[in-house]
Amino acid sequence: MLDKVKKNFYPKGRGIEDSALEDIKKLISKLPLKRDLLIEYLHLIQDKYGQIRKKHLAALSKLLKIPLAESFEVATFYAHFDVIEDEDPSIQEVTIRVCDSLTCELFGSENLIKELKGSLDDQKVRVLRAPCMGLCDKAPACEVGHKHVNFSNLEKIQEVISKKHFHPEIIEGISLKKYVDSGGYEILKKCYTNEISVDSVINELNESGLKGMGGAGFPSGQKWKFVRMEPGPRLMTINGDEGEPGTFKDKLYLEQNMHKFFEGMLIAAWAVEAKEIYIYMRDEYPGIRLKMIDELKKLRETSIIGSNTKIYIRRGAGAYICGEESAMIESIEGKRGLPRHKPPFVSKVGLFGKPTLNHNIETVFWVPDILKNGHKWYSSQGKSGHKGPHSYSVSGRVNKPGVKLAPAGITMNELLNDYCGGMIDGHKFLGYLPGGASGGILPASMADIPLDFGTLEKHGCFIGSGAIVVFSDQDDVKKVALNLLKFFNDESCGQCTPCRVGTEKAVKLMEKGNWNEDLLKELVQTMGDASICGLGQAAGNPITCTLNFFKDHI
Amino acid sequence: MTKFFLNDKEVTAEENETIWQVAKKNGLTIPHLCYSDKPGYRADGNCRACMVSIEGERVLAASCIRKPSEGMKVSTTDERSEKSRKMILELLVTDQPEKTDCHDPDSHFWKIADDLEVKKSRFDKRESKIVPESDNSHVAMAVNLDACINCNLCVRACREVQVNDVIGMGNRGHVSQVIFDFDDPMGDSSCVSCGECVQACPTGALMESNLLNENGKKVVNADRKVDSLCPYCGVGCQLTYNIKDEKIVSVDGREGPANHNRLCVKGRFGFDYVHNPERITKPLIRKKGIKKDPKEKLDPLNPLSHFREATWEEALDLAASKLSSIRDAKGGDDALAGFGCAKGSNEEAYLFQKLIRVGFRNNNVDHCTRMCHASSVAALMEAIGTGAVTAPVSEVKNAEVAILIGCRPTQNHPVAATFIKNAVKKKWT
Repeated sequence: MLDKVKKNFYPKGRGIEDSALEDIKKLISKLPLKRDLLIEYLHLIQDKYGQIRKKHLAALSKLLKIPLAESFEVATFYAHFDVIEDEDPSIQEVTIRVCDSLTCELFGSENLIKELKGSLDDQKVRVLRAPCMGLCDKAPACEVGHKHVNFSNLEKIQEVISKKHFHPEIIEGISLKKYVDSGGYEILKKCYTNEISVDSVINELNESGLKGMGGAGFPSGQKWKFVRMEPGPRLMTINGDEGEPGTFKDKLYLEQNMHKFFEGMLIAAWAVEAKEIYIYMRDEYPGIRLKMIDELKKLRETSIIGSNTKIYIRRGAGAYICGEESAMIESIEGKRGLPRHKPPFVSKVGLFGKPTLNHNIETVFWVPDILKNGHKWYSSQGKSGHKGPHSYSVSGRVNKPGVKLAPAGITMNELLNDYCGGMIDGHKFLGYLPGGASGGILPASMADIPLDFGTLEKHGCFIGSGAIVVFSDQDDVKKVALNLLKFFNDESCGQCTPCRVGTEKAVKLMEKGNWNEDLLKELVQTMGDASICGLGQAAGNPITCTLNFFKDHI
Repeated sequence: MTKFFLNDKEVTAEENETIWQVAKKNGLTIPHLCYSDKPGYRADGNCRACMVSIEGERVLAASCIRKPSEGMKVSTTDERSEKSRKMILELLVTDQPEKTDCHDPDSHFWKIADDLEVKKSRFDKRESKIVPESDNSHVAMAVNLDACINCNLCVRACREVQVNDVIGMGNRGHVSQVIFDFDDPMGDSSCVSCGECVQACPTGALMESNLLNENGKKVVNADRKVDSLCPYCGVGCQLTYNIKDEKIVSVDGREGPANHNRLCVKGRFGFDYVHNPERITKPLIRKKGIKKDPKEKLDPLNPLSHFREATWEEALDLAASKLSSIRDAKGGDDALAGFGCAKGSNEEAYLFQKLIRVGFRNNNVDHCTRMCHASSVAALMEAIGTGAVTAPVSEVKNAEVAILIGCRPTQNHPVAATFIKNAVKKKWT
């Protein structure tokens, strides 16, 4: 009788293949088995097999003791994972991700995509659209495998493919030795040995006017103070998900002087007594991430950081939304990057439910210099009453694009003429994005407003991460706005209605020749009022600005 | 206790109460789609249909998830929040099948749309290629995600309430959609058919398939409801039978201490036996002259070949007289014994033993639980001094350790098991 029962009994749903289970066990054996490492495991599978077959995903779910639906949710949320059926043909050997964000579009990414699709063997190569990869000053950009190609064209890309040069380029910056020899990590030592107190450090930061350079502009000293008010243990996270289209300053600073960033980060962690630091690095910067792993190893071999400070590097997987701090925290926890409801703020309830100090890379990058040179050194670098230097990532129709370290409070006209060599020949300045995709669009007639936190809000714009994209009379402002909305539509996490449906409907309305202005305005109002996070709240800014400032172009 | 102002009226919130809950307490039901005020459902705040404005705040707040603070001034009637709620519904209505041609025009979604007077949309529909196709792979539930609004109530129903861990939200942004396991057809997935998702779905995207016609439209509408108790295992789930033309057409879980609206596959979908034509619905008495023959096959659809219908009085009199004659003829008071059934209610068990003791005149009465419970009764007697249940299953949530021996609650008492699984999930995460 029992035999009969057993014979007729089979578990519902997918079974687990023994061989797949063995594959995955072996593949992830170097990492501890922890739920929050799910995305790291998925990377291992994707990297090894070029895709994630469902049998492998099922095996991974089994090992982690999580529901199939849960691992599927995470794996399909991120753009860099390809979940396919077991019997599907393998995904092409080579993946080309062509940036189609604004600057690259201005410089011909659409034609490039068409050309690539027409010329390359689609059995071997697949061409995907991808959002900004921080190469806006070298547009159009693309990533072949993990190799970034600047000023991309068909020939360059074919060369990369034929040479099979798919690994990322690693840019040598200031080495650990050189950094230490020039007085690096001295401030950190003084902190560790109590030569300087936490209070004095926080005071210096407050006086300097250092603000959160990820885009929120929250005073850093205040933030440390708030986090310190929460009961321990506290954690620290570093937001290296520099995804705002047009932004590439964090990338530059990490390439130039990674240890200065480490020192600032460690000082901040010391100040809030965080023993664990999680650095979330976007997957679009593979070279930097590899270098970071390497440099961190070198740093650990010294006596500079104590053994009781743990630093983890977590790899993003292609999701702009993870630049939103609570979404990033969800992602570090191995989940989909869905922004959390606020309150509570992450300083109270952050990573793994603990009070968390979260900083952008550039913010902590300035900390050692401020403490070394004094707050006045930093604050005096601004102009017209603004404090500090500001890193503007400038791209678009300018002669000399790049990261411009200029006084906070500089105007667009000054930045354009004094730092960027003016407009490219034959282009007349028409307008600019002061703060990436979400910071709105301003016309050339409004290029004399100081660029800093708090100066643009009255015009419906903000400086954000300082991503400035300049466009000209040869560009169509409606197309500019449409590019931005398409970006938000692609990158919306889909959690809330106004953003998920709103961005999609906005794109549809904008794709029509005649804009239904009233309906667009109504829609933008609700997206701004009712979206959960900044993505949806700001997604309508390009529309509002176009309607307000570019009436002649509609 | 927090005092705040709702539309200029001072109101009080208990600890952990949200603005939505306080509003409801004060007679105002704020529109809601992704929020269910049923026990076990966490507010998720994703649909944004319940937005309210709070004085001094830059953006609106979702009242279902936002807790008031002292002195806060909340408005549900200002133009901004009213417009916002309407716009949310308009956005969602855009991609729904037309109300006149939808899966369930009586759904909660359409009720809210009607309340907000959103009849149609000024936006274009999403591309048809991204509209999920119908999934009719499951024998009892139809999945029509063209009506889905991504409120994720079904995800919470499956993962957090019943902890069956089948449903998720795959992909991202406007192409994100409800999935079963690895985006498998529901019928091939690890779904255990508890139907909690169907009960939670506010749109008709998930429905009992027997209510639908071949085009997935609801054609069976109940004409009355009967509150009852699940007839299967001993958990004691409260339920409501939805009845049309004197036939049960669907079942809803009802609030009760043992189940808090939850049901399992048996209670939810196992009701067709009631209308089985083989079922005996009237007392039958064997016809005169027809002998019992074990080899003879009786057609259960036609018992009248061997039996005739009788009244209860006649049948009971006959049974009583036969039992008495056995008792009196064959050894008197020790001739008969009674063996009760666990499916009987307490009242029935009482009457049963009364029959044995008074009618049969002996104490030869026992119960089927003797088979499984004798050992645990003895153990309980020894350990805690009483051989009976001392706590409801749901008390697992307050236990540090729960030891299960010789049982498979997820299969035998699925609804009770959900409370154990809730406790496990809570402690583990």
